[in-house]
Amino acid sequence: MNPITGILLCPIVGSLILLLVPQRRSNWVRWISTVATGIPVLICMALLIQFPRGHAGYQWVQKIPWIPALGIQYQVGVDGISLTLLLLHVLCGFTGVLISYRIKERVKEYYIFYLLLIGGVAGVFVSLDLFFFYLFYEMAVIPMFPLIGIWGSGDKKYATMKLTLYLTAGAVLALIGLLALYAVSGAHSFDLIFLERYLTQNPIPGHLQKWLFPFLLIGFGVIAPMWPLHSWSPMGHAAAPSAVSMLHAGVLMKLGSYAILRIAVQLLPQGAYTWLPWVALLCIMNIIYGGFVALAQKDMKFLIGYSSSSHMGYVLLGIACLNPVGLNGAVLLMFAHGLMTATAFATVGHVYDQTHTRIISDWGGLARRIPFISTAFIIAAMASSGLPGFANFVSELLVFFGAWNSYRWSALAAVFGIVITAFYMLRAVRTAFFGPLNMRWAELEDAAGFERVPYLILIAALLIVGCWPRFLLEIISSSTGTVLSHLTHLETIAKL
Amino acid sequence: MIPAGLLALLPELWIGLLFSAILALDLRWKETRSSTMGMLTAVGLMPLFPLLWWQHSSLHPADLLSGMYRLDPMALLFKGIFSASAILVTLMTRELGKTIQRGHGEFYLLLLTATLGMFFAASSANFIMLFVSLELIAITFYVLTAYLQTDLHSLEAGMKYLVLGSLASGLLLYGFAFIYGATGSLQFSKIQEALSHHQASLPVPLLFGLLLALSGILFKVAAVPFQLWVPDVYQGAPTPVTAFLSVGSKAAGILVVFRVLQELFLLQAHQWSPIIAWIAGLTIAYGNLGAIPQTNIKRLLGYSSIGHAGYLLIGIATATTLGSAGTNFYLISYLFTNLAVFLVVTAFSRQTGSDEIRDYAGLSKRSPFLAAAMFIALLSLAGVPPLAGFFGKFLLLMSAVTEGYLPLAIVGAAAVVVSLYYYLLIVYTMYADKPEDPTPIPVSAPVRLALLLCLVAMLGIGIWQGPFLRISLAASFQ
Repeated sequence: MNPITGILLCPIVGSLILLLVPQRRSNWVRWISTVATGIPVLICMALLIQFPRGHAGYQWVQKIPWIPALGIQYQVGVDGISLTLLLLHVLCGFTGVLISYRIKERVKEYYIFYLLLIGGVAGVFVSLDLFFFYLFYEMAVIPMFPLIGIWGSGDKKYATMKLTLYLTAGAVLALIGLLALYAVSGAHSFDLIFLERYLTQNPIPGHLQKWLFPFLLIGFGVIAPMWPLHSWSPMGHAAAPSAVSMLHAGVLMKLGSYAILRIAVQLLPQGAYTWLPWVALLCIMNIIYGGFVALAQKDMKFLIGYSSSSHMGYVLLGIACLNPVGLNGAVLLMFAHGLMTATAFATVGHVYDQTHTRIISDWGGLARRIPFISTAFIIAAMASSGLPGFANFVSELLVFFGAWNSYRWSALAAVFGIVITAFYMLRAVRTAFFGPLNMRWAELEDAAGFERVPYLILIAALLIVGCWPRFLLEIISSSTGTVLSHLTHLETIAKL
Repeated sequence: MIPAGLLALLPELWIGLLFSAILALDLRWKETRSSTMGMLTAVGLMPLFPLLWWQHSSLHPADLLSGMYRLDPMALLFKGIFSASAILVTLMTRELGKTIQRGHGEFYLLLLTATLGMFFAASSANFIMLFVSLELIAITFYVLTAYLQTDLHSLEAGMKYLVLGSLASGLLLYGFAFIYGATGSLQFSKIQEALSHHQASLPVPLLFGLLLALSGILFKVAAVPFQLWVPDVYQGAPTPVTAFLSVGSKAAGILVVFRVLQELFLLQAHQWSPIIAWIAGLTIAYGNLGAIPQTNIKRLLGYSSIGHAGYLLIGIATATTLGSAGTNFYLISYLFTNLAVFLVVTAFSRQTGSDEIRDYAGLSKRSPFLAAAMFIALLSLAGVPPLAGFFGKFLLLMSAVTEGYLPLAIVGAAAVVVSLYYYLLIVYTMYADKPEDPTPIPVSAPVRLALLLCLVAMLGIGIWQGPFLRISLAASFQ
């Protein structure tokens, strides 16, 4: 079987098997879910090693005609960009299953929805057909609703409804854009590989591109989340159960920037040249405004939530650069930020499950009582503040360099954003983990034995890529190179 | 040699035979055996599928019986839709139990009569024939709607439906008369010929007649501005009748719109297409916005069914093969999806006696199966992939965008978000709220089976769209 299809089918088949498992067999449910998300990790590792370095184009492509009358086919495959994000996704998905062992209520339903979510997100990263891309995209949004609504905390009804409606609104807007793209391209195909080639030869007229691009940009921008469409996201992060917050902030938000890069920029390059400078401006709001709002948060999950939407500003800025350095930085940052934020949400979840409060000032001195979890959080905070040795540092640096020439102000804002991040992260670390131990938490349990595994996996991945970024950058840059050469080619055509 | 007309009429004859059999049994059997009678009706309707399939594969499309009766792929597809909904509605009726105090047998007889009317409407090739079949459907539904004689809501619903329905019939007949006056024929084939002389624009009497006839038909479809009866009638009527109205009767209306607009007036598409596009957009907006504040599930489904009528009209407004195929596909998926919802509503109210949404609290604990079925069906209604409802919407939006109806497509897409809101509120109530009364809700074997069938259909049609798209394409006008 095609390895990519394998990665896609594992969680979906897993959730179907779970339907047949009796309700009371919680352990079976956990084991099946672990296997269903563990196998993709192994496959993805193997693909990463085998991926031909310096080789452009999609690998392991599988194509099955689905609805030939409309030009729809099941087509999957990965290039350097999607493989990097797929790796992030399977890591977050797998560690999320391990973290979720803590869930004791309605275990079976939880894992069914969780695995569907994993399958949907994986599908978006590997689809090379616009129809299936959309199908998986929407499939990834819907399971969030019950996951937050049933197992969430706080104002979960409002949060989950807001999240689902925002994301669906974005999705249908993008769908209109995709359908219009299909109609004006004249290719009668949803095949992404074919469209890339076809539109290089027969580009869509410039005025249509400029008009189509906002549909895709705003539609996918909602999930990215692009300011001012971000307000669903911190709320959703805060209300979701830990594993879902991890996946949500770690991976789901990257779907938006990935879709903008893969579909909007690649298929509508002239639209991109017209509109992306505006995105670079909006990024300033993402970074600075998001950072200041994070600064004001008292709730730890809201803090990380706003911090996430602030950091996604860097990713969008990197994409807006449309130069190799910026794009490589954006993709690597998606990876690094995903791991960092997943670690942070996992640790917060660990504490919250026992303290039932996420107010930072309520915690106090936790490092004495739960050194392992505290260390994990501090590592995440360091990574987030852009300390050298972490992939975040490397990728943010690339984004600055990329943006310096074209968007000087945005680059300066981004540098300032790092200062804000360092400020609120260090303050949160000091208040929550250092100082005198709040005696209410004298009985707090640290992660022990097996519970440490997910944290170790995430931190290890963060450090490996941080110390050896070339490992990923090599495969990323070959693919971003293709995107860019495609753009410059079109630019020359447009000038002729 | 059996005459072709007789072969073509076999399904209708079979329903007639079944009708007589049930009538005879009803006279002999006691009321207590009504559920056996329901089973007989449902099973008796099943041979229709092989019959229709056989007709599809061995009879040629033709006008038969002096041009009164038409056998074509579209008629056959819709007859299939009518049969499937009649079977599912019959199974639903068995669940009513004591809600109907007397006349169980007659209820099944009326269901069969309505089905027969729909079959004839599907095959009409003449305005008189069409009108009579539509009246057969309408009058049956007047009776069915008011069937709960002691329930004031049901009586009120029946009365409302009767008054407004008669008005619609009048408009329809008046419209037909004008078309007859202008073309000199009631026969579809002759009218088509006469109309081919008016390609550029229609003369006033013809246009007037067309608009009147459309008003009468759109009443059946429940499109704006002929939708006002829907919420009250849907709420008051017995649930299986509501289900049949929302699927069978609506499908019949759509079929007639197809026949009149896409078959007779296709050459004048540029004249009616913008009108239908406006109606479609307004209907989608009205239905979905109206559904938001509803607290009664049947009323909510009434509003949402108005919204779905709007989607069905998109495919007609575009006047393309893709659009018609989209409408056909949407109807097939809507059939299974909507009836699944109504099956859950029936099973739920049988146990609890309530149709209020807040009473669905904690349904996922009281009956995980019903809650899951409802969840999936609501998602399919909203158009979430990979369920059947998604692909129907996808085709319709695609046809709208391709034909340049971008605002209509945007309205349709925005309504998905709105509908998701009120559907997900139900889901939230079922899954996250605590039940007031935690007693489990039993589900009878036939309902369980019917629901499973609907679920398989929703997933199957949603994932493996190819064959169903081919059927829909084959049954659409070229």
